[in-house]
Amino acid sequence: MTARRLPSGDFDVEQLTPGVRRPIKLRPWLIFAGVVVVAFFGLIFSRVSLDRSGFELDDLEEQIAIEEARRGDLRVEVARLQDPNRINAIAAEIGLVYPTVRIEIEVPGLDVEGIDPEFRWAQLKAVLTAQP
Amino acid sequence: MVLGVAFVVAWAGIGFRIVRVQGFEADKHAERGEQQRVRTEALTAPRGTIYDRDGVELAVSIDAVTVTANPSHMEDPAAAARLLAPLVGVPKSVLKERFTKPDSQFAYIARRLESAQAQEIRDMVEETEMAGVYFTSEPKRIYPAGDLASQVIGFVRDDDMAGLEGLEWKYDEALAGTPGQQIVERDPYGNPIPQGEFVVDPAQPGADIILTIDREISSAAQQILAQAVKDYNALAGTVLVMDILTGEVLAMVNAPTFDPNDRSDANPEAYRNRAVTDVYEPGSTLKVVTLAAALEEGVVTPSSILKVPGTLEVGDKEYTDVGRTKAKKMSVAEIVAKSSNVGTILIQDLLGNEKHYEYLSAFGLGQVASGDLPGEASGRLENVRDWCDTTCGPSTAIGYRVDVTPLQMASVFSAIANDGVLVEPHVVREVISADGTRQRYEPTERPVVSEETARVMRVLLQGVVESGTGSRALVDLYTVGGKTGTTEKFVPGEGYSEEDRIASFIGIAPIDEPRIVVAIVLDSPSGETEDGSDMRFGGVSAAPVFAAIAEAALHRLGVPPNVR
Repeated sequence: MTARRLPSGDFDVEQLTPGVRRPIKLRPWLIFAGVVVVAFFGLIFSRVSLDRSGFELDDLEEQIAIEEARRGDLRVEVARLQDPNRINAIAAEIGLVYPTVRIEIEVPGLDVEGIDPEFRWAQLKAVLTAQP
Repeated sequence: MVLGVAFVVAWAGIGFRIVRVQGFEADKHAERGEQQRVRTEALTAPRGTIYDRDGVELAVSIDAVTVTANPSHMEDPAAAARLLAPLVGVPKSVLKERFTKPDSQFAYIARRLESAQAQEIRDMVEETEMAGVYFTSEPKRIYPAGDLASQVIGFVRDDDMAGLEGLEWKYDEALAGTPGQQIVERDPYGNPIPQGEFVVDPAQPGADIILTIDREISSAAQQILAQAVKDYNALAGTVLVMDILTGEVLAMVNAPTFDPNDRSDANPEAYRNRAVTDVYEPGSTLKVVTLAAALEEGVVTPSSILKVPGTLEVGDKEYTDVGRTKAKKMSVAEIVAKSSNVGTILIQDLLGNEKHYEYLSAFGLGQVASGDLPGEASGRLENVRDWCDTTCGPSTAIGYRVDVTPLQMASVFSAIANDGVLVEPHVVREVISADGTRQRYEPTERPVVSEETARVMRVLLQGVVESGTGSRALVDLYTVGGKTGTTEKFVPGEGYSEEDRIASFIGIAPIDEPRIVVAIVLDSPSGETEDGSDMRFGGVSAAPVFAAIAEAALHRLGVPPNVR
């Protein structure tokens, strides 16, 4: 006889027992269902978030357009304020006119070569500040 | 049982419909849905800006706000009209009529408002939760300097921003840019659907144009000209200020003028840029060409003495001088200073028609002076082959039989001021494309007379102001020179007017070291000054205008005084 006895303890006894059903393992299914639900809600959430972001972007773009328009208006306003005709009218209103009296100022040393410009400028300032 | 059958039939019907809509007709319905949501919208290209030489806007486009209504969405159209009317400046009754038209789904409330004004309406609409009011963006062209140089700049059509006059018309293609388009999915209220289809082909903005125009000189010129037209009872007038070294036009103004921002009351006559569109016979100012040609050809020198008769009969025409009837020995300098017609005719006779014509052509008469101004006339210079043997030469010598524009005459004097080199006058300095490419205008230059002839001519022109017909052109603190001109006005279909004159003065300042040429042309001035002088003469009406404008321009350019 060459047959050997099977080693005991290494096999599931039930496996060897015909006619007995194995119980269904619920855990993996529950995990799978959980993942599906989470993915579903995640998808909905991300979709809603994306839509919300889209609306926010749209609002921001509208705001940008309004600010751009305002910038354009301000640019025009600056150009209008710089209009020489407007400035002339204001100048005339407040009594600014071209001087009618001609004042000639003699600056000493203007025709002398080699004088330091700083010194000449100081002289010029002194002459100018002495004017009425 | 019956109920069960009915239930099954109902569900079968619904099922059939679902299969039909979702299956067989799916493509058709999807397409219809897409047509409702997906819109192809044109994107207007922002029109380029026109700047003055210092980079200040003269014509600029802004995004204006147009307010519209869908009356069918309005809960109370009458109340809406009452609240909106004071904000948009439209009578309440008018708005109410627009809102209550049967089956109306669209009405304008206000078009092209500036954003500040539109914001007031937005605030009110939000505050009152008014339904059926919508805001859209529309481009609007603004001219911040109003009527300043408006004939040069021109204007656009409000609806489509197409250039109609002036540089707006001439450079319309460059300024307009290229429109783009966007494909976008929108909900029934016109809001973009997030994550919907969105494809943009952006618009290419128009090019910017930098002019040579100086706003301050133009403003001074415009005010002085307007006052002169009024004081001298003229019909119209035009002024040009040119930089002689570069050919840049610093000011080109006309009277009457108009405000391109509001053309509702403008006279279309005021749209014309008379400096380039109107031709006139230049009269004595053209003697400059006759004299310069004679000096250049060595026919005369400034000190040459000529015996000038009191009158000169040529063919059927008698030529005379103003204020002189007796023969007199006159130097060339005196002939210029006193603007002697007879003396100039004698000099032209020595020069000959052929040579005279050669110089008239070389100075650019009979050809457009500049390439960048719309409607520019070339004037008229008859070919010398067609000149008659009698009066043609003499009349041309004193500025008749030749039609010129004020710009052409300014260009002639500019060549004299610029040592005999004629630089092409121009108003556009640079065109800057949307991609930043700068295209600078390069004016052509050509010598017309020698430096020495130009220098001598300047001395002669100084004599006109200091001891001749142009004494009213004297400018305080600066030496100036110039030439007066007075011609009988030619009225098409009627011939020469008995009364009306074209008075002009064209001068150079400072005459010792020239910087600018100022040309003034007044159409039909009339009346007398306090000292009894006839305002129809250029020396009386146009010369003082030159003095005032030249002084303002020299101050603005920072040219130091050269007279103590």
